[in-house]
Amino acid sequence: MDFGLTQPQELLRNSIARFLAQDVGLERVRRVMDSESGRDEAIHGQLGDQGITGLLIDMDLGGSGLGMQEAAIAAQEIGRAAAPVNFHSSCVLAPLLIAGADSGERRSDLLEGIAEGKTLVTPILDAPIEDGRLDGSVLYVPDAAWADAFLLENEGSLHLLDATTAGIAVEPLQTVDDTRRVADVTFLSVDLGTAHSLGGNADSTRRAVHAARIALAADALGAAQKGLHISVEYARERKQFDRVIGSFQAVKHICAEVLAEVDPVQSLLWHAAAVWDEGSDEIDRFAPLLKAHATDVASQAVTMATQVMGGIGFTHECDMHVFYKRAGYDRQMLGNPTALREEVAAVMYG
Amino acid sequence: MDTSIGSEYNELREEIRSFFAANQDAAVPAGPGFGGEASEVRRRTVEWQKRLVDAGFAARTIPTRYGGAGHDPDPLAKLVIEEEFSEAGISLGMENQGISMFVPTLLHYGREDQKQALIRPTIRGEMIWCQGYSEPGSGSDLASLRTSAVLDGDEYVINGQKIWTSGAREADMMFALVRTEADAGKHGGISYIVLSMDTPGIEVRPLMTMTGDASFNEVFFTDVRVPAMNVVGRPGQGWEVGTYTLRYERNMLGRSNATENYFDGCVDILRETGLIESPVYRDRLLKLEGRVQAMKYHQLRLLTDMLKKRDSGAGGLIVKLNNCQLNYDICALAIDGMAERGVLKRGSKHVRDYGNWQRNYMYALGLIIGGGTAQIQKNIIGERGLGLPREPKPAAA
Repeated sequence: MDFGLTQPQELLRNSIARFLAQDVGLERVRRVMDSESGRDEAIHGQLGDQGITGLLIDMDLGGSGLGMQEAAIAAQEIGRAAAPVNFHSSCVLAPLLIAGADSGERRSDLLEGIAEGKTLVTPILDAPIEDGRLDGSVLYVPDAAWADAFLLENEGSLHLLDATTAGIAVEPLQTVDDTRRVADVTFLSVDLGTAHSLGGNADSTRRAVHAARIALAADALGAAQKGLHISVEYARERKQFDRVIGSFQAVKHICAEVLAEVDPVQSLLWHAAAVWDEGSDEIDRFAPLLKAHATDVASQAVTMATQVMGGIGFTHECDMHVFYKRAGYDRQMLGNPTALREEVAAVMYG
Repeated sequence: MDTSIGSEYNELREEIRSFFAANQDAAVPAGPGFGGEASEVRRRTVEWQKRLVDAGFAARTIPTRYGGAGHDPDPLAKLVIEEEFSEAGISLGMENQGISMFVPTLLHYGREDQKQALIRPTIRGEMIWCQGYSEPGSGSDLASLRTSAVLDGDEYVINGQKIWTSGAREADMMFALVRTEADAGKHGGISYIVLSMDTPGIEVRPLMTMTGDASFNEVFFTDVRVPAMNVVGRPGQGWEVGTYTLRYERNMLGRSNATENYFDGCVDILRETGLIESPVYRDRLLKLEGRVQAMKYHQLRLLTDMLKKRDSGAGGLIVKLNNCQLNYDICALAIDGMAERGVLKRGSKHVRDYGNWQRNYMYALGLIIGGGTAQIQKNIIGERGLGLPREPKPAAA
């Protein structure tokens, strides 16, 4: 029993946190947020250099060969830094889907490209495939406007389609959380023959989706912890009625309540990640339960943390809204809390 | 991260399971399904406690010379035992102020003769304790207590009043905080003393609570003479000794196993009533499940900190606040699940689980207030956990 981070995991966390603080500070995040496209062209390459895009990829393919616990550590720090990357999609879901595929050379090339941070693959679950053709629109696809390739999943089987293939139209959408973007992707009767079949199976897809949910939960936890940190720092400094506002119980108790809810989420996150690493079917319970609980707690945390700041918390200038919005995105993607609770209930109670 | 417990504990699991098999006749169920006539409940509880102590599952780390099993502290063994008992739905024995709070304090601060005399009967459920801390004017501000103990020869003469004293009528003994020096400062003049509830001059008046039980009492002291030898630690050291005990109280009020047993009981009710099919009830249930599981693994994190002798920081401070509220919310859902049947109390026809849900719903509210109110807990979390400043003292008028 050692329920907590191991020393190598602590080192990993520290090095990721240091990299994010130095190279992906909030100034850069804000530039991305304010930009039209919302794209940070350098981020994947930098994350690749740091070994972060390849955490879940085998060592012989240029990755670190680590597990979900390490990916969750990265996701939490990325959330805490509000880094402009759909980590859950490009660095968790995509490589895990590809790793679970059974086609040889192309599979290795792709994973190597992701590990290096050179290839951005965007998975599309439940792709509209019928009679060997791709036809129809898929909504809210992360990073779709700048993906190198789309990884199409349909009933467990996977196809890789180059993003430049004729007959694909991408329409960027505007997200509240400007740090991460999505787009609509429309396929105009694309012949699946132009795509590369990777095999794949439903079980590996299911596990990959759970992993992406754990990553989103970790991101939300990081954002919530950062939000609480900002508000507590403020409550220690800001004076009203000749007192720092953190000495008022009305303010102090809000901070305490948020901490009391947020802190145990860390343990549930570690547990869910460990269950994933064990390969146990319990993941069908713990991944959705974690994401439901973590993102609910995170929503409440950033709401109350914003209130602690008073009027300044509502301004664009204050950083709080970055994390407030971050938690909102994490909450909605790949199943919101209400939908996920129903999913767990079906597993547990029929 | 290593969440495994290790195969070296498999033997312990086997031992527990064969203990269950051999002691089925006396096993007391955990959770809401245990109740009935009070003296019979007491008899079965004490009998079960003795078997647990003899088998080394309760009082496990208490040295054998004091009647315990003498095992080295092993949080993992403790975890395995808790898991096995929780899974089997069997009670892990008495959890009262004597066992959970007094004994650890005595082990730390007591004299050898005190340990010899008091620990064995306490852990076996033969000597029941109550805690004399709160006073009418000293609730959250405990250190302002005024019950006085004046040295007269080799005895202290105690005068004053305690309140909110749980189980004082059933108790054989009390551990109390009293003021032995009037002018040694707010915290400096307090001593921790043990006394027999049979001592002349003690009057206990039951204080009926909202649960319908007289589980609280007022205890009046009029010239109560207690041997000076009965002080635990040094005279004047009582604040330190007494707050050492409070750490154990927070621990006791925050155990998550009972929470899981109540959660399972709540699921049973929703299944029986068919409400488990209702999306609204499912959502409420799953919200609770997220909190239950988060606290369950939070305890493992605290356990790891303990194993590594590492300070858990704010992590330890939130347990009481969260678990008491969680227990309350679980009972609330179970009672809602009973619909109109939920209005019934113990003793009524049709009542479910001896009225334990209704009783525990209210009792949990008592625990939200007792042992440091939720608001005091939030002050502690804010100040010690987050480094927020204390409320300034009001300016003198």
